[in-house]
Amino acid sequence: MPLPSDFVFSQHNLQDYLDCPRRFQLRHLERMAWPAVQSEPILEQERHMQLGEQFHRLVQQHQLGLPVEILEESAGSDPNLQTWWQAYLRHPQTELPPLRKPEFTLAAQFAGFRLLAKYDLLAVDPGKRAVIVDWKTNRRRTPTARLRERVQTRLYPFLLALAGAQLNGGEAWQPDQIEMIYWFTAEPDNPQVFPYSEKQYRSDEKLLRAWIDAIVRSADQPMLMTADQEHQCPLCNYRSFCERGQRAGAWEDGDGDVTDEGDLSSIDFDFHEIEEIEF
Amino acid sequence: MEVIPLSPLQRSVANREPIGRLFVEGPAGSGKTTAAIAWLDQLLRSGIPADQVLILTPQRTLAQPYYQAVHQPDLPAGSLPTIQTLNGLAQRMVLLFWPIVAREAGFARPAQAPVFLTAETAQFYMAQVVQPLKEEGYFRDITIDDNRLYSQILDNLNKAAFVGFDHTELAERLKASWVGKPAQLQIYDQAQDCANRFRAFCLENNLLDFSLQMELFSRHLWPSFLVQTYLKRTYQHLIYDNIEEDVPAVHDILREWLPSFQSALLIADSDGGYRAFLGADVESAASLAQTCEQHIQFTGSYVENEKLSMLSAYLTDALLRRAYQPSPAVEQAHQIHFERFYPTMVDWIGASIETLVRADGLQAGHIAVLAPFVSDSLRFSLMSNLENRGIPVRSHRPSRSLRDEPAARCLLTLAKLAHPQWELPLNRQEIRQMLMLAIGNLDLVRADLSAQTLFSPRKPKDGLASFDLLVPAMQERITHRVGEKLEILRAWLRDYQAEPQPLDGFLARIFGELLTQPGFGFAKDLEAAAVTARLVESVQKFRRVTSNEDAGKLYLEMIAGGVIAAQSPQAWEEIGRTDAVLISPAHTFLMVNRPVQVQFWLDAGSLNWWQRLMQPLTHPHVLSRRWPEGRKWTDADEYAANQESLARLVRGLLRRCSGRVVVCSVTLNERGDEEHGPLLQAFQSLRRRLNLTEEAA
Repeated sequence: MPLPSDFVFSQHNLQDYLDCPRRFQLRHLERMAWPAVQSEPILEQERHMQLGEQFHRLVQQHQLGLPVEILEESAGSDPNLQTWWQAYLRHPQTELPPLRKPEFTLAAQFAGFRLLAKYDLLAVDPGKRAVIVDWKTNRRRTPTARLRERVQTRLYPFLLALAGAQLNGGEAWQPDQIEMIYWFTAEPDNPQVFPYSEKQYRSDEKLLRAWIDAIVRSADQPMLMTADQEHQCPLCNYRSFCERGQRAGAWEDGDGDVTDEGDLSSIDFDFHEIEEIEF
Repeated sequence: MEVIPLSPLQRSVANREPIGRLFVEGPAGSGKTTAAIAWLDQLLRSGIPADQVLILTPQRTLAQPYYQAVHQPDLPAGSLPTIQTLNGLAQRMVLLFWPIVAREAGFARPAQAPVFLTAETAQFYMAQVVQPLKEEGYFRDITIDDNRLYSQILDNLNKAAFVGFDHTELAERLKASWVGKPAQLQIYDQAQDCANRFRAFCLENNLLDFSLQMELFSRHLWPSFLVQTYLKRTYQHLIYDNIEEDVPAVHDILREWLPSFQSALLIADSDGGYRAFLGADVESAASLAQTCEQHIQFTGSYVENEKLSMLSAYLTDALLRRAYQPSPAVEQAHQIHFERFYPTMVDWIGASIETLVRADGLQAGHIAVLAPFVSDSLRFSLMSNLENRGIPVRSHRPSRSLRDEPAARCLLTLAKLAHPQWELPLNRQEIRQMLMLAIGNLDLVRADLSAQTLFSPRKPKDGLASFDLLVPAMQERITHRVGEKLEILRAWLRDYQAEPQPLDGFLARIFGELLTQPGFGFAKDLEAAAVTARLVESVQKFRRVTSNEDAGKLYLEMIAGGVIAAQSPQAWEEIGRTDAVLISPAHTFLMVNRPVQVQFWLDAGSLNWWQRLMQPLTHPHVLSRRWPEGRKWTDADEYAANQESLARLVRGLLRRCSGRVVVCSVTLNERGDEEHGPLLQAFQSLRRRLNLTEEAA
């Protein structure tokens, strides 16, 4: 299937492509539903993801100015959430620029397609600096080397430089005005800061273009995984479709991160679409 | 964004300054939405940040052109507009501002997160409220399926929220309009009691059904200074399309909100109002026009041709019993075909579509087969017929029940087999059907032999017996190839019972670990995978909302009892993307809003084209804002409403047709009855007049 002209590239689908081209093709091009278990234990993983979502919402509410004492009550509904919340409050991010844009989306044309990123928080001081903050609720802090390789670490600052002019009085951000911070609930005192630079911007531009070009070239042929990618099959829901095993792998072997960068059209369920049920 | 040559009228919309409020009205297909998208493009190219733009539609399907527009690669770099229904926006606001409004809105646990109910989970909780009352004698005097009883009480609550009156007034309004037997008055009171108790239950447990969500937004969130400030600061520019399909409560909010937008473009379809049964209010929508400084009227159609326009006008005249003199030109815009029996009609339609696709070169996606309701048997027979001819076909029934899908039935049987402790009834027929699907290439005879010999309905807890224990002659008949798979299935179920999961987890596990493994029935079966995905999602939502340890058992009981149908909305985008003949209920087709070249109208004689669904506990007209308090709803009102509704439906369908309509009628319908409903009568009237015109010429 050739790549549709309105296909939108994001860190989620590009990371899938890098992890396994076959998975990218099945999930994002063919949009194939394959509801096998991704990893186990199911309930523990689900609970952690729900807490991650609640934490992201609490932070968003806080950044929008809802009173802390009211949010305290919501955070108190779960001991883990309470711990994360207290850690967040102990690290008030006062050094961040003053203008805050929580849950903000940017997109731009790149390599003939649309490139999109949804930021947990953009903190900007127009003309001076822009900080991307990403809240990570993984059970363990992701190693720096691994983070550096993630598509997110390349795409987010790159896209802010490319498409963030509206947050800088209409002027494009210079790459060296941008930095990216990963803040971990697992290690709140040990955030990971990645400063950005012109050199990194050029490198990321080249790399992103190369990935997209490779996808465009191979989209209408069966995409295959390479031998060094097979270790990921136990944590992939397409495992049985690709005849790569039965049982799902352990969740703790994966990233265990909450990603809220979904399909643009996946808005909430609309009751209007349901007619009276006929039996 | 794609460059589309615009008409002068469209340019006048697209090129205006982003200041002030513009009201655009016109028929479907006249280019209003295209103009709005061009205006959106203009806004974004002028440097206005896209996150300041709010695009509202009453239903998600109607937003598809806007989704497509914002996915175009050459859109200016920057943020994205918000595309939402007001319901979707309300849900976001509830999530964001819940901590500050939950207490004052009367929720008993404001520190806990709200739980949004789906149609299914709302019915489940309504059942908890209503069942004990039924045992006390409520609703004894009416015959109605439980699920319809629950959905109509929920619908009443929705109507109150949409129209903007208190839900405690429902019975009074319904009673005041009633002219029939007095026994009905008590039923309205009972429905009111159920609605009140359900609302109290929701408040006690942080549950938000659709009506409470809307009320929370309109009564608590929207009036909040904090929320209004947030919304008004966030959104400076508004595009609100198909306003005629929205409900008065939404129009009320927009009426207050409009002055704070720098620019607003409101778009109304002059023939619309198809969602009146859901509370859409054309007059309330039209009143928004008064808040706009500028008005533009669109005319003509980019879709419908002149002959179809004439056909539409003549049919409206015929339906409303007005005088008309048809032009012979409309002969080319329609065809009427009669058959005596249903199966021959289905075959004729299949053959006609094959001719259109193969001989005339029409794309399958440019054909729609429409009926007032699409029954399972119609759907199955028509889809099979077309598939056998190699014609791609898709059906869309928003309320189609997953439990009617063979793959879902197979999974639900396996679930009962895997959880004997639930003690749910299981019979050999279910086992046989399950085996035919679960075991690859298993024919009916071997599946039946397996079910007969390996499963005892008297001892369902024992599950499947071992194939190895069968006498050799029986093993030979079933075959060892099948026996091997039966043993794998048994072993899997046994291992699973050692570490059971919630029902959705069970379904996902057996799907991945067994059914889709090589040689089993779901291997590489994308249709079965899609059905499984929807079932897993439905069960998961149910489990998360009910938070009950026995959620899996409850879910299966609710399915068996017909309380819920395991329904899950199919992706509308999927329908739009696929080049396949669409089989759909007529009203659903209107809301998909995708014009086609040829439409087949089935069952033209059916009264269902004309009359509304029988709903003894609710009433779309009486519970609307238009209905004067205390006025009686008479047969004359019913007749007039049905006439007007059919005329609107016919206009709407023909507005979305660019070639011709093929009207199909059978002497004996699916149930073997003869029907001569008003739609068929209108076509017969037209035919008679055309014949007279021909004779006179």
